[in-house]
Amino acid sequence: MKSTFALIIGVLVALGVLQSTYVIDQAEQAILVQFGEPVGELVNTPGLHWKLPFIQDVRRFDKRILSWDGDVTQIPTLGREFVVVDTTARWRIVDPLKFLRSVRDEAGAKTRLDDLLDSVSRDIISGTTLEEIIRSKDWAVDAKALGEEGVAIEQVDLTKPKKGRATLEKEMMAAAAKLVPELGIELVDVRLKRINYIDSVSRQVETRMISERQSIAERFRSEGQGKSSEILGQMERELRQIRSEAERKAAEIRGKADAEATKIYGETYGADPEFFAFLRTLDSYKAMGENTTLVLDADSEFFRYLDSTRAR
Amino acid sequence: MGTPADRLAELLQFGPRKNKGSGSGGGGSAYPPRGGGAKLPGGLIGFVIAALVALWLVTSSYYTVQPEERAVVKRFGEVVKTADPGLHFKLPFGIDTVEFVATERVLKQEFGFRTLSTDGERSEYASEDFPDESLMLSGDLNIIDVEWVVQYRISDPMKYLYGMRDPDRTLRDISESVMRRVVGNRLGSDVLTTARVEIGELAEREIQEAMKQYDNGIHIVTVQLQDVVPPRAVQPAFNEVNEARQERERMINEATKRLNQEIPKASGEANRLIAEAEGYASERVNQALGETAAFRSILSEYRSAPAVTRARMYIETIRNVLPNIGTVMVVKDGKTAPLPYFDLRKPRAATQEQPQ
Repeated sequence: MKSTFALIIGVLVALGVLQSTYVIDQAEQAILVQFGEPVGELVNTPGLHWKLPFIQDVRRFDKRILSWDGDVTQIPTLGREFVVVDTTARWRIVDPLKFLRSVRDEAGAKTRLDDLLDSVSRDIISGTTLEEIIRSKDWAVDAKALGEEGVAIEQVDLTKPKKGRATLEKEMMAAAAKLVPELGIELVDVRLKRINYIDSVSRQVETRMISERQSIAERFRSEGQGKSSEILGQMERELRQIRSEAERKAAEIRGKADAEATKIYGETYGADPEFFAFLRTLDSYKAMGENTTLVLDADSEFFRYLDSTRAR
Repeated sequence: MGTPADRLAELLQFGPRKNKGSGSGGGGSAYPPRGGGAKLPGGLIGFVIAALVALWLVTSSYYTVQPEERAVVKRFGEVVKTADPGLHFKLPFGIDTVEFVATERVLKQEFGFRTLSTDGERSEYASEDFPDESLMLSGDLNIIDVEWVVQYRISDPMKYLYGMRDPDRTLRDISESVMRRVVGNRLGSDVLTTARVEIGELAEREIQEAMKQYDNGIHIVTVQLQDVVPPRAVQPAFNEVNEARQERERMINEATKRLNQEIPKASGEANRLIAEAEGYASERVNQALGETAAFRSILSEYRSAPAVTRARMYIETIRNVLPNIGTVMVVKDGKTAPLPYFDLRKPRAATQEQPQ
């Protein structure tokens, strides 16, 4: 019986101690609430702390930087393209008392941030062209130095953005930061996480990209044909050059040789043209063969002596 | 709170919630059996309780830090120290809790794809895509599909645990934001080809800057672009461009090849033509020289006795020529029909086998 009594006392003491102490983690800060009313100072040193048992309640708040991720929303830009925008932000609870009073807890804060950041991003995005949102201030694409892609890209405006993405994010941040201090919140940053076309626009853009590519491909092909014809033309020219030159040279050489031969013949045969003609005629007789029919005059030199012997 | 009862009480409230360390194993089993002692012998109950408490004491008063880890030790929620690898002791019953942070390991986040396992020789990747992560707009307002990895290390476990809630998720968000900014500041064609490394470096710097701003103890090791491709529907068109480029090269190469075939051949032929002409030239000249030399010799002989030589040459020639001639006809002035003198064909036809 004694031990049972001791056990009950022990349990009661333990319950009392439990109720009058609390632990604050390194990542936390806390406010004590007594009958729904905050009491005392903000507790932001980690460790073991005392409180009144049973009547005081501990509300804990994270001290660390927290993140917020917005819903994905469709927003038209200034250029009327519908884009899907996903924003993300980081924030922290800087005034737990205000935080407790205005939004109660993180879920409450998230709802408020949802509304707030959503409207801010809507305002900014719908007042800006897509180029401004996508590009940044240090945009340095030179439309003239595009090389082989140049032809296709001419359709897109490549001017430098006036503000650029980072500036827009800062504007969003500034617009939202004005409204959050009353919630006991500080915004660390607001960023555009994702910006994409909505599906129907995506398909249009893809079609545009396809036709861009096809025109580039077409250009490559005709370039190939052009270059090929150029080379073949060049080849034809060279061939003709080479051949005609060779023919010319050959004709020159032959001509020179003929001239020289003629000169030689001329010089030599000129000494006795009559004898030359005689020799040549005899030579040409030697060419006569089986298929030749020779008609000789009976009075010719060959038969002269034949006749004369008969006459004797 | 020096008494064991106090510690027990603390533990009952906070121990199981906070203790993520290796020493938390005994927490659940150490619940004292409440008010059940009446029927059982008091001594035995006391012994069992004491034994359980002792077991709990032992299991919750040490922890081991692995080589790649650092441990952060908290006493009642307050960080009291960080511990290096090895075996360490701590206050038991969840008074001290330990959180382990893998500071030496290089961690990785993947965007647009997921590695399922790296066992074996080849890593396995999830078959589905994550288009939400990887599709983005390039500066020329085209769509591009970029996959990348961010490798990072936790350089400061304190800051990692207490600077920010869920720093890894923030790293993800920031990586996506930064990558889209960097890619959005380029032409799609550059992102696909030449600017990959530069984009990785730029993204690495910007992500690191953001992490520094949050002071969350994350150190970016590297950002690397993986597959960078046009959206699926456009890929065939991109391939077509590549094919067209190949075709252009092929056509140029073929033309060049023909040129290289034809020109040397033509040059060779040209040289042959010239060589032939040269051959003809020397032949012609030599022939002329030879013939004229012969003529000159004959001429000098002829001049010494022109009439005799002339007659001799004529008759010799006729004699040599006549046997070979098919038909010889002799005509006499005043006769109408040719007068056959002799016909070589008939005796030849008869004695064809043995001429003469």
